[in-house]
Amino acid sequence: MKKKTAFWLMVTVAVIAVLALILSETGTIPEWLYLAVLVAGFPLFVLFLGLWWMAREGDADIPFMGY
Amino acid sequence: MIPYLLFATFFGLLLLGIHRKLIARIQRRPGPPIWQEILHTLKFSFKSTWIPATASEVLFVSVVLIAIGIWTAAFFVLVTGGSLLIIFAIYMLHKIVEHGFGLSSGSPYGKFGGVRSVISAASEIPLFVSVSAVAIFTGSLQISDIIAYQAETGPLLFTIPLAAIALYLVILSKVPASPFAIVESKEIVSGYKTEHFGVWRAGLETCNGLKSYVLLLTFITVFIGALPFLGILLTMLLLVVSLAFVCALCPMLSPFDSVTIQTIITGIMLIYVLYLGVFG
Amino acid sequence: MIGAGGSPFMYLEFGDIVIYFSPYTLSLFLLALVFTVLVIASRPERQLDIAFGADAYTTKDIGLPEMRFRRFMAIACGLASMGAMVTGDVFDFCLFTSLVGICNVGIVAAVRSRHVQNAAFQYGLVALAGTVPLFGGAAIVAATTGTLSLIELSSTALPAVPAVVKGFLVLGVMGEGMAPFYAAKAEMFRAPGAPYVIMCSLSSLLIFLRVIEVVLQV
Repeated sequence: MKKKTAFWLMVTVAVIAVLALILSETGTIPEWLYLAVLVAGFPLFVLFLGLWWMAREGDADIPFMGY
Repeated sequence: MIPYLLFATFFGLLLLGIHRKLIARIQRRPGPPIWQEILHTLKFSFKSTWIPATASEVLFVSVVLIAIGIWTAAFFVLVTGGSLLIIFAIYMLHKIVEHGFGLSSGSPYGKFGGVRSVISAASEIPLFVSVSAVAIFTGSLQISDIIAYQAETGPLLFTIPLAAIALYLVILSKVPASPFAIVESKEIVSGYKTEHFGVWRAGLETCNGLKSYVLLLTFITVFIGALPFLGILLTMLLLVVSLAFVCALCPMLSPFDSVTIQTIITGIMLIYVLYLGVFG
Repeated sequence: MIGAGGSPFMYLEFGDIVIYFSPYTLSLFLLALVFTVLVIASRPERQLDIAFGADAYTTKDIGLPEMRFRRFMAIACGLASMGAMVTGDVFDFCLFTSLVGICNVGIVAAVRSRHVQNAAFQYGLVALAGTVPLFGGAAIVAATTGTLSLIELSSTALPAVPAVVKGFLVLGVMGEGMAPFYAAKAEMFRAPGAPYVIMCSLSSLLIFLRVIEVVLQV
């Protein structure tokens, strides 16, 4: 995955989560929906964050296939 | 909820770090700094990442997402006072996740770790026993009802101490370096985690942090009741200290012994609950 | 005990068979759904075998017909466990549970290895034996109360169900859900596992979790 794609996916997930927070604070959506968004969004956010700030963008090393 | 979720993840990782440090100090080693697990998570997330050529790709990646997702769900169920059964279910499903981690990579080490997690299913039954003991006393499995019951009659820890011990053993079997931690023992490299490196491992560590927080919070909520926030954190710390002593002083059991001991504990607990159900 | 897994918030009625969603059954249902989608979407692992006495390793490839059959069985297993998660009827639950058992045998038995097939055969015998207490339990429920609906059973107006029913149901589910323990047998390591063997252990755990709720309500 390209660094840029991962970044934008991460931002999208974060924006959706914050939007859900605001909407649930104002009472537009029920609390369970907000929590469901977080349950789906948090893992995606963690992985995309990692993939985004992954050290290098060049080609991967030769995979380690055993001795 | 978002800040609390992030706090829980990092505090859980910190607790794991404290656990590791304490084990080292009890064994008269210097040990890593207490924030080592947080550093670990960050370090793994910076590493380059790919999927092994032998892996079942979709499962390899999505099992990490599921691992974090189920414990996020457990956290919310606990915080909003949902059903204790759901937390029990998620704890058991973590086994599937471990199995999935191990099998998806195609590596024999991972596979052995995954299979060990399946055969250590005996450790779940004490959890069910303590859940049913709680149900016998409070008449409900909603966490909000359990808290309300304890606010009236005092902590369940003193009413049904053996059930509390059962849950404590369940938590013990999940902490790293415990006598029951056969799934990640060193003769199979890192067990089910072996092939998940880089970002995947960072996700797994995130899940571990959240998992420790949730399990300790479950123990406190179910057996001690509502506490002020600082009180909860301090009790967690105390629990971690006691767990560290057990882990530091007991050798890791062989898979056979581990399962045997867990089965014996389960048998004792079943008799206890039958006794409670008939005479309690 | 009413609503052990939270109070139901949605009912789907098919005649007198009512499917209900409580927080507990819904979360189990979703997990079964997620893993079924995973089984459909992912390709099998290529298991690494290290050759003894030599500096070599081999990977096992699964042939297309075998993969197709195992995938079909795993998807059927996922569907059966989804059904077992949400159904509000004791007999339907037993039916879905035994279907899970059959599918688990199928997932394992498709592997062309004598050792694996031996394990599948033994598991099949256990699953077969498990159906007797399972359906026996459901029959006793119907005989004593005249209904099989979990919602009606959880109300207190009906005559009490004998305690032996709970034991029968749990015993039956234990028989059907033995698959993970067979997956832990040494013979089974010869079979490439993911994602199909995951379905074995997932469906067994799910029916275990669901029978707890059923037993609490009966």
